[in-house]
Amino acid sequence: MTAARSVQPVPINQAAPLLEARHIRVSFGGNVAVHDISLSVRPGEIVGLIGPNGAGKTTLFNALSGFVRPASGQVLFEGRDITRLSPQARARLGMARTFQVERPFEDLSVLENVMVASFLHHRGHQAEDLAYSVLERVGLADRATQPAAELNLARRRRLELAKALALEPRLLFLDEVIAGLNPPAQAEMIGLIQQLADSGLAVIMVEHIMQVIMTLSNHVVCMAFGELLAEGDPQTVANHPDVIRAYLGEDDD
Amino acid sequence: MSVAVPVKRSRALTFGNLWISAAIIVVLLLYPVFFGKAMNFGVSTVIFAGLAMSWNILGGWAGQTSLGHAALLGVGAYTMTLLAIPERGPAWLQALGIGHGAAIAPWWGILAGMVIAVLLSLVWGALTFRLQGSYFTLSSIAVALILRLVAINENFTGGSQGLFMPDLPTFFGLDLFDRKVEYGLAVGFVVLTLVITHIIRRSRTGYALQAVREDEDGARALGIDPARMKLIAFAISAALTALGGGLYVIYLQAFEPHTLLELPLSVQIALMAIIGGRGSLQGPVIGAVVLAVFGEVFRNLFSSANLLIYGVLILAVTLFAPGGIMGLFSRKGRKLGTAR
Repeated sequence: MTAARSVQPVPINQAAPLLEARHIRVSFGGNVAVHDISLSVRPGEIVGLIGPNGAGKTTLFNALSGFVRPASGQVLFEGRDITRLSPQARARLGMARTFQVERPFEDLSVLENVMVASFLHHRGHQAEDLAYSVLERVGLADRATQPAAELNLARRRRLELAKALALEPRLLFLDEVIAGLNPPAQAEMIGLIQQLADSGLAVIMVEHIMQVIMTLSNHVVCMAFGELLAEGDPQTVANHPDVIRAYLGEDDD
Repeated sequence: MSVAVPVKRSRALTFGNLWISAAIIVVLLLYPVFFGKAMNFGVSTVIFAGLAMSWNILGGWAGQTSLGHAALLGVGAYTMTLLAIPERGPAWLQALGIGHGAAIAPWWGILAGMVIAVLLSLVWGALTFRLQGSYFTLSSIAVALILRLVAINENFTGGSQGLFMPDLPTFFGLDLFDRKVEYGLAVGFVVLTLVITHIIRRSRTGYALQAVREDEDGARALGIDPARMKLIAFAISAALTALGGGLYVIYLQAFEPHTLLELPLSVQIALMAIIGGRGSLQGPVIGAVVLAVFGEVFRNLFSSANLLIYGVLILAVTLFAPGGIMGLFSRKGRKLGTAR
């Protein structure tokens, strides 16, 4: 998969950004869901996106992956402006996403779900073999022939990830793939994400569990009410008074 | 994640159950041996089986419910017939030297009809497939209605009286008005639709179509362009339906727009596929045979109340077997039945 890119001669913070978002603003009718957010991610880097419910994290994801068109701002992939590109064109460029509410193709088996994705770059049995190896990687190979509709939540999450990985992306958007899993499953997922980043994949992840973000991220962006609250390395953001206030509420009420 | 245990890799990328298709073809070929006296019923049922299979490529695999396939059938029927009758044909065609003088053989006429049907489907799909939900279904009814109005009001289409084919050239020495020959062609049509469906089943296109049917945004995230995939399915479906339309009017010999381009015909084709199992490989053939047999039996029992049986069957299928008859035999289909 991405093993070929596992060597990282350049330190992460010096490499050119793979994806760059500049002053993204998204509004629905008169409601501004995302207000002037900028971020960038480099190969091998994990950027964590946090914020209370309704902060606009998923909307920002949708703007970056092409499902929502920003009112203003720019999205660049390898320096190329992709702001107006369709989601399918972005997937072909090497961007993959998971959905917060998992959406397996329920009539298809687990394997067939992943094959839909692996057909992007492969034909015939090659696509099938790739799908199997991705399923092995996320620990779903023993469920390959089961209808996707029958999977439980934890396995649906893994299937979401498997579909994204079968696109052989260079950039991965993960929308809450860990929340809701039991602790051992969380640990497995965290290990897998770390592995993917180590192999050179750029990762942007939304997650509610602070500890997960703190463990995994190289860089954290915190949003509240569509605006940037704080960003920086995990420790700085976690100790930022605005972030603490956003999560714990005002202390003078 | 967990230690990779080598798992036996059963293949998903197959042509699907070829044995059922083989059995169906054998049964169809044996029909004239036992029911040689009921060839009219045989020919029309088998043609409708092929039409339902054609509908299924768009309605089942791509999930786009069309209630206007009569329009595509009509394009095949009218194109073939008009080209076969030299004195017919619109003035502008005659000005081009077509439709004047020599009659054009029905097989070339059908081919022309298929090309026109594909062009129609591409324009029609391009205009409607960017919308989700039931807009396509509504548009399909409208397109068939428009074609019906044109056929009724234009002179060259024979107006509301329709067209009559006096005679046809022999097809490799075979008389096209011989029911046995027509039956053979109809079976060939069904075989073609089965072969194409099996090929789709095993292809990247087939998987993309199913993904689009299940969840368009989910498909887009995986690099699939839903509008493009639906257009491909529509074009294949349109070409095959026009082919079936040509065969159908060879069988009818005379037809009028009131029967050929009406909503009930479109509904009938869709119902056969839905009752047999939309999205399945062979379901539409089963559905066509079941509906035709029921229709025949109940017409004799209740005369015109035979339409009632359609209503009852629709209700029964939606309530108890959303996957259709074929769905009853697969785990997937039964699961759908309990879940929805």
